[in-house]
Amino acid sequence: MIAYFKEVFSGAWAFLQGLAITLRYLFKPSITVPYPTEKLTPYAAFRGILLVDPAKCIACGLCAKACPSTCISLESQVHPETKKRIPKPEWYALDLGRCNFCGLCEAACPTKPKSVWHSLDYEAVFSNRDEMVRCWKPGFPLAGRVWDPRKKDFKDPKGQISVKEMRTRP
Amino acid sequence: MSINPMNSTPIRSETSGLKTDTLFLNMGPQHPSTHGVLRLGLTISGEVIVEAMPDIGYLHRGVEKLLETRTYAQGVVLADRLDYCSAMSNDLAFCLSVEKLLGAQVPKRAQVLRVIMAELNRIASHLIFFGTYGIDIGAFTPFLYAFREREMVLDLFEMCCGARLTYNYIRPGGVASDINADWIARCREFLDFFKPRLDEYDTLLSFNPIFLVRTQTVGIITPKTAVAWGLSGPNLRASGVNYDVRQAEPYCGYEQYDFTVALGKTGSCWDRYFCRVVEMRQSVRIVEQALSRLASGEIMAKLPKVLRLPAGEAYSHIEASRGDLGVYIVSDGGLAPYRLHFRAPCFINLAILQEILVGKKVADVIAVLGSLDIVLGEVDR
Repeated sequence: MIAYFKEVFSGAWAFLQGLAITLRYLFKPSITVPYPTEKLTPYAAFRGILLVDPAKCIACGLCAKACPSTCISLESQVHPETKKRIPKPEWYALDLGRCNFCGLCEAACPTKPKSVWHSLDYEAVFSNRDEMVRCWKPGFPLAGRVWDPRKKDFKDPKGQISVKEMRTRP
Repeated sequence: MSINPMNSTPIRSETSGLKTDTLFLNMGPQHPSTHGVLRLGLTISGEVIVEAMPDIGYLHRGVEKLLETRTYAQGVVLADRLDYCSAMSNDLAFCLSVEKLLGAQVPKRAQVLRVIMAELNRIASHLIFFGTYGIDIGAFTPFLYAFREREMVLDLFEMCCGARLTYNYIRPGGVASDINADWIARCREFLDFFKPRLDEYDTLLSFNPIFLVRTQTVGIITPKTAVAWGLSGPNLRASGVNYDVRQAEPYCGYEQYDFTVALGKTGSCWDRYFCRVVEMRQSVRIVEQALSRLASGEIMAKLPKVLRLPAGEAYSHIEASRGDLGVYIVSDGGLAPYRLHFRAPCFINLAILQEILVGKKVADVIAVLGSLDIVLGEVDR
């Protein structure tokens, strides 16, 4: 009987000790951030969503080769008469559904500054698989148009941030 | 509270006079306490387990096969995704194996950086264990505290490597990026913050009488059983077997660091739990020593840009957060490994469930399973 009450007491006492610790934190400011209204800025080294700068890109294809999950595909422009390769991309597609966020493409890119890089953007919301593919073609804004297989055309995705709103390269 | 679950035996119809039957119970794969997608096929007699069969494979991605088609630089990315709670250890084991076959020398600074990152990741990984094990047992508060501290470690990783979970930081030949004075200051700040928190953890959970009663007599693994099933890591050391790869076969210069290996006495769930808590303390010590040892220098060995390993095979193993993680590479001289195998500690630690669960109550399954600290990403690979 005494042992039983001793156990109850020790359990209750440990409970109170635990509460004493939690009580101390009760009066300290909260460490969490209410996400949609407040947002944290990642550190400069953060590897977020891939961005590409087609003006800088020399279409060497090193990024596509370095990628472990074939997330990048591109084709270089071809001179209409000599049929020679021009160091400019004809189109450049990033499949964010495949991206590992490993940074190997950025490391492999030979241009300065990098023409493919991880931005600080971490808010990627897609409503279907097609929206995950971001294709750049001349005349299209980059992180916007997505391929619509039904209409066989590129369309503007809903609620996706445009390139201008994305943070600049670190 | 003197019920010893070790003494419980299944009720037999002959002796009790009642007509009883065993029941097959599926635990998982969507059970929140199985830490992922593990299915336990339990045959129970009343509340006592007669047979337990862990059923794995729900998270199988064929990483070993995938690696045969990836270059070694790309392999690190996939190795990251095995034990996603301590990705640094996976990177390290993979890179050590590649370097062994390549015969590459890693610069001193890179080695110290590897130790710092591996130990910080051990802290982060053990914090997940600490938090989730509390939840398994029924204590929710420690989880919130553990994740607060873990967030700080992840912030450190984000500052340095750019990612929070799958780092791709340790590369064949060295590490990807250097740390600066600001990072070191932040790291020291974290360590100073973290040390007193460990005492709080002890009050919150470790020496809580309710927690003790719930775990101290449950899931006892004798040293002999532990060795027979090939356990490693804190699970093995909790049974009192002193085997730590960091001391038995030092890598990355671990022989120069002063730390003690946490050993348990009985091999119960509580011992396995407490081994990890003590290991966090030791990890803090190692990181402190490593930070003071950091000398300037290169962080990457001079290796060819396209890694082509000589034909042959290499095995190297490290003490990952969950045990002895080994990587075995067979190369035929090509750009990708001919065959690659991971000796995943979780996979081997998990197998012992079928022995130690027998004779336990259903309520203890989660306590035992949680104490083994498995990550299904590594079990299934």
